[in-house]
Amino acid sequence: MLNYNQPLKDQKSYQGLQMSEISPVMKLIIRGKKRDFLSAVGKSLNMVLPTKANTSTQSEKLTALWLSPDEWMIFSNNVLEEKTNTYNTEILLNKNICNLNLGAVTDVTDQYVRITLKGDKIYDLFQTGSPFNFNEFRNKIGSVTQTIIAKVDVIIHNQSQNEVNLFVRRSFSEHLFSWMNDSASRL
Amino acid sequence: MFLINCPFCGEREQSEFKAGGEAHIKRPKQPTELSDDEWAEFLFMRKNIKGVQFERWNHAHGCRKWFNIVRDTSNDQIKAVYKMGEKPPVK
Repeated sequence: MLNYNQPLKDQKSYQGLQMSEISPVMKLIIRGKKRDFLSAVGKSLNMVLPTKANTSTQSEKLTALWLSPDEWMIFSNNVLEEKTNTYNTEILLNKNICNLNLGAVTDVTDQYVRITLKGDKIYDLFQTGSPFNFNEFRNKIGSVTQTIIAKVDVIIHNQSQNEVNLFVRRSFSEHLFSWMNDSASRL
Repeated sequence: MFLINCPFCGEREQSEFKAGGEAHIKRPKQPTELSDDEWAEFLFMRKNIKGVQFERWNHAHGCRKWFNIVRDTSNDQIKAVYKMGEKPPVK
């Protein structure tokens, strides 16, 4: 990716918890209601969008998160290595969805920051600042939730046992990261 | 503080939601034909009762969808939750 300015440069490590930003990663928000929209996305990306609430689906290259009944986030599993800001996935979706008026595709690569958290104290950290009940979420790999941590809107994705992806708006990311570091140091 | 069962996401804490006022207020079909008093009645006047009230809520920090709930304002007990466009399940 070209000219990506990483907002969170440090990798932080505590007992039972590591936090760092993963970048650059492609992130798209897609919206649509029609049945044709779902099948067009499925054919374009070779993956099924999750229609069940608070779940996700994964292919070799992409992960799709359920955000609301007509909204999904798609992000690349791997870090982008090509020196370009044009993504084949976005071009393909624009062609098969936007051009046919089936839905909307928005590039949010620079809007959201992906933080990865690893360790067995992730949920202890979340509990210090979130009203969400993580009891079911932590046992179900692939779960997704949108909630608030320290009054900041976040999207949380249960990637695997003791590994979580957290998406936060870029302008809030430095504050949230410093808040999480402060909180993690007291666990 | 209380829990709201979002019809899309499931049970969440109230702080994730924003209240949107009284539900089922119909917009007049011909606003231009109303007097100022009638227009003010539609625009500003709400029942705001102590007891069972029909309300609109928005899951602002979650799925961002609007829905209706039936809430007893005296004790915050939620009697029913239903989607926009649906008829209230309780009277």
